[in-house]
Amino acid sequence: MSNDPYKILGVSTTATQDEIKKAYRKLAKSLHPDLHPGDTEKQAQFQAVSAAHDLLRDPEKRRRFDAGEIDASGQERAQRQYYHQYAGQDAGGRYDGGAGGFGGGQRHGYSQGFGGFGTGGEEDLSDLFSDLFGRRPRGGGGQQGFAARGRDQRYNLEIGFLEAARGTKRGVTMPDGKSIEITIPPGTADGQTLRLRGKGSPGIGQGPAGDALVSIAVSPHPVFTREGDDIVMELPITFDEAVLGAKVEVPTISGPLSMTVPKGASSGQRMRLKGKGITRGKTAGDQVVRLKIVLPKAIDDDMRALAERWRAASDFDPRAELRRTT
Amino acid sequence: MRLDERSVVARIDRLTLRDLRAWMREGWVLPAQGETGPEFDDLDVARLRLLCDLRKDMALPPDVMPTVLTLIDHLNRTRRDLHVLAEALDAQPADVRRAVVATVRSRMPD
Repeated sequence: MSNDPYKILGVSTTATQDEIKKAYRKLAKSLHPDLHPGDTEKQAQFQAVSAAHDLLRDPEKRRRFDAGEIDASGQERAQRQYYHQYAGQDAGGRYDGGAGGFGGGQRHGYSQGFGGFGTGGEEDLSDLFSDLFGRRPRGGGGQQGFAARGRDQRYNLEIGFLEAARGTKRGVTMPDGKSIEITIPPGTADGQTLRLRGKGSPGIGQGPAGDALVSIAVSPHPVFTREGDDIVMELPITFDEAVLGAKVEVPTISGPLSMTVPKGASSGQRMRLKGKGITRGKTAGDQVVRLKIVLPKAIDDDMRALAERWRAASDFDPRAELRRTT
Repeated sequence: MRLDERSVVARIDRLTLRDLRAWMREGWVLPAQGETGPEFDDLDVARLRLLCDLRKDMALPPDVMPTVLTLIDHLNRTRRDLHVLAEALDAQPADVRRAVVATVRSRMPD
């Protein structure tokens, strides 16, 4: 395990507090980001070293880590702003002898890279040198045997309702230009996060890569909604289908199916299509179909005559129950 | 953001008031003078964190501090000037930028 704080600091698990301090001191001297401004790799190494030191220098935390009560991942620290990141923007040069020969004391924003090589921002100088001048900044010492797990990277991915319900594979291009295929399991819910092991930032040295954390947003469907693993939908039926019963076609997430509407069906009545919801391994949800009787916009003479005759003859009162209970 | 001495000591947990005052005396950190005493801004706070790293974590002795700080300050000054130069080049027409790149490359070793 190379997010092992002992390995990151290069000390044995039986090292004394003093040995840990010395190891950290040595690494900090060679890796401190203010001694290598703009070198993001060294900065990441320094972060890992600092986090490992934070864990091991505290005897109580170290004891709990050794006992397996806490793991090293909880030690990731908030990204710190280093001095050079402020000093780089301090055009007045408070600590380095006033305005420079080019700046003339003017405040300048670093909005652009150089000829399209950099991406702008404070960290583009080393990019500028490596891209423009065709060489990598030369590494100093302190890197041998250094290993740390790469950072986790967060992404957002929006998928359709049916893709989420049935499961799918999606090719996604990561910011580094690499394309990876993400398997979205059936029943993935809105707001769920998928962890793709090893698809984050590359590890440092022999360390493993970090993970990609993909937040899934599921767009709503005009017909289907979800209740757990059940798929719920409303099925419009005609007046005659409700009265006489009928075989009708129902859409499901896995294609249309034939379903029997019982004689004398009412609006709001729920029918259950067993196993036609979301399939997860051996279990599957149902599709719940809520019937809704829909009349044509224009009522023709036949239907009106039928209703008038029926009203004259029937004493059916669907609201009798309401009156009894209110 | 403007912090007084007490707030800055509260903000940086490794920093003591004694260190802070000593470092101000040495001129390693140069806060603005406000009406009620020194006022520290973001740049000062970041510098104090760096001073803590150098003095406490790396245990650099006080007598090498002026040398180390001078080098760090030169480095930052140079980087700022390079940024200005890069911005000025960026504002040039494409053929000028290409010519500069070609000249730079031809003069770089390997």
